[in-house]
Amino acid sequence: MNRNLFTTSINKGFTFGIVMIFLVLIDFEVMAATMLSKLLGVNVVRGALPEVRFMIIFLVLYGLFVGWFASSDQEKPAKKLFQALIAGLTVAVVVGLFDIALNQLITTGTDVRAYLAALGPASIKLFLLEKGALGSLLHLGLFTGASLLGSVLKILLKSDPMSHFLKGISTVYRDLRAKTQAITPNWIKEYGKYLLFLLIGLSAFFLPRMWGSYNNYVLGLVGLYVILGIGLNIIVELSGQLMLGFAAFFAMGAYSMALLNAPLPHGIMLGFWPALAIGVLMAVLAAVLLGLPVMGMRGDYLAIVTLGFGEIIRILLKSDLLTDFTGGPRGIQDIKGPTLFGQPFSSDIDYTYIILVFMILSIFIYKRLERSRTGRAWMAVKEDTKVAEATGVNIKNSKLLALCLGAAFAGLAGGIFAARNQFTGPNDHQLMVSMNILSILIVGGINSVPGIILGAFTLKGLPEILREIENYRLLVFGGLLVFMMISRPEGLWPATRPNIEKDEGNRQKAESPPGKGGQHD
Amino acid sequence: MLKVTDLNVHYGAIHALQGVSFNLEEGEIVTLIGANGAGKSTLLNTISGLLRADQGEVEYLGENITNFEPQKIVPKGIVQVPEGRKIFAAMTVMENLEMGAFTVTDKKLISDKVEEMFAKFPILGKRSKQLGGTLSGGEQQMLAIARGLMASPRLLLLDEPSMGLSPVLVEQIFDIIQNINHTGTSVILVEQNAQMALCIADRAYVLETGKIVLEGEAQEVLQNPMVIEAYLAVTE
Repeated sequence: MNRNLFTTSINKGFTFGIVMIFLVLIDFEVMAATMLSKLLGVNVVRGALPEVRFMIIFLVLYGLFVGWFASSDQEKPAKKLFQALIAGLTVAVVVGLFDIALNQLITTGTDVRAYLAALGPASIKLFLLEKGALGSLLHLGLFTGASLLGSVLKILLKSDPMSHFLKGISTVYRDLRAKTQAITPNWIKEYGKYLLFLLIGLSAFFLPRMWGSYNNYVLGLVGLYVILGIGLNIIVELSGQLMLGFAAFFAMGAYSMALLNAPLPHGIMLGFWPALAIGVLMAVLAAVLLGLPVMGMRGDYLAIVTLGFGEIIRILLKSDLLTDFTGGPRGIQDIKGPTLFGQPFSSDIDYTYIILVFMILSIFIYKRLERSRTGRAWMAVKEDTKVAEATGVNIKNSKLLALCLGAAFAGLAGGIFAARNQFTGPNDHQLMVSMNILSILIVGGINSVPGIILGAFTLKGLPEILREIENYRLLVFGGLLVFMMISRPEGLWPATRPNIEKDEGNRQKAESPPGKGGQHD
Repeated sequence: MLKVTDLNVHYGAIHALQGVSFNLEEGEIVTLIGANGAGKSTLLNTISGLLRADQGEVEYLGENITNFEPQKIVPKGIVQVPEGRKIFAAMTVMENLEMGAFTVTDKKLISDKVEEMFAKFPILGKRSKQLGGTLSGGEQQMLAIARGLMASPRLLLLDEPSMGLSPVLVEQIFDIIQNINHTGTSVILVEQNAQMALCIADRAYVLETGKIVLEGEAQEVLQNPMVIEAYLAVTE
């Protein structure tokens, strides 16, 4: 038994040690320390390294996690401590050996950046806590101590008095909520929603004025991705067509804006607003042209065709063939901003207002659609095309309508995006844009507007604010998606459908298996 | 009311219906019986517009409706209740019913119809806010029929309504079908349960590999030695 405990702990420690080595190889530990430093209010200039203490904090956090993870739930406290000790020591030994190798690199002055681009001498010195060979001993102490501490924390937080305490807090909170609800006058309950809207509206009006232009830029980006997310949600989730080339419609809007508004290459110099409207129409036109031939396809096939469509559009924009028409790989510059009542209306703050207005409009349209007869038809088609057809739904028109509406949102976002950046080029419309929007839906929560907003903020806003994460975006992205699928498969903020009695439904579900299973009972 | 003449339907190389002709008078229950793969469902799907006929004619109330799209056929009063209790599992009972009235634009009429269905099937009224997939088998079949009735059909096409239901529920469903018929809706009933179907039907057609091999009054067909042999024989 004890022997078993010993080997599993060594195994866990070994895994964590190897993970740490990999993190160092890609310079993740420096990025993490930089982020910690910023979170704790010590700014780090771009390109510079954070202070040593933040590296220590990162290593301690890692050790705490090891200790927490290594001590099994069902073991007694003493055994938990033992597990954490063994795991922490193993991590320390594995990393320590690696430290010695790293130190060797520095002392001999070998530069391995030709093979491992991220492993610069400065980063290594920081990782070794600026102490050279002594760093490995410091690591030993840090990992072992933090791991033990993690185990102690777990023992304390999961102990009986603690869980009683937590339960007590939640009961008190529930009582308090019930009581406040009982004494809240009815008018607040009834109009509270509008009061909240008013507050949000006021803050939406005043806050952008107080923020710097960078924050406004980030906020605008999030807003644009909310519009895009809503558009894609109509296509993918409401009508059930897996669309992977959504960036193509975004490109339609952006290039319409660019070609009609910029002085080069055509010099049409149309204003922002008409160009925006034409951009939306062009996106819808593209949707019709794509939609008509592929309407009969479903699932994987549709996904592949739309993926190809997105890439074809991007490559066409980039191609030499169309350089005279689209500006080719260099893109189009000097796109003019909008005017409002004859006044220029194109500062970062103004764009924030424009985007917020269109975002709210999109949400409003989406909400109306969702509950409409058309929305119901989409849901029915998604669930069973044949039966929906038998009830009299025109499948082709219904799917095409969803595609066009989704494309219109993308065209709108594309037009504003291009004008705000005063530039657009083929690189703005890569496959990654489509993937990002789809990820927003998956991470945030399908069919849920708050979910889409939260998803857009998590996937577009946070990486902008935490620039350091940029190089690790895909790593973090992948990790986040895996984590999400396990812990919150319905998204961060799942949709709640009105008028459903869920508990009742679950009870029924237990009695008779639904759907296909039910057909054989 | 409905007259089908020399109908031919192919699934690729398979000749599923080979010159089927039959007719139905207003107010009748006509049943189509036959083994698996005889072409019963194909015939219903062709009438309702889900499948195309290669040859032949479907005439409804004096109008040629061959190969019309379902969205044009449903408003004319022909509604199909598909095989295997195909309800929309992720939609509530209420939404399922509203989908049934998809071709109806008059909101007042829809809510009247919903009330009517809840009166006819009280259990659906109790479950109106539940997801369709959480209903029991019998309730799902009732919902499927109620959804079909939402469009106020003059002719209801029922595809194996007794499939996979317990004997008690089958009897209940057949009572419902008779009730629907008494209120003036004509019914084409496709069934594997030939005994039950023939008991409530006025006339019957027997299909075998895409052809009609026997037709007549339901009671006569019930006595026919060939039918007894093939569809009604009790195995010991």
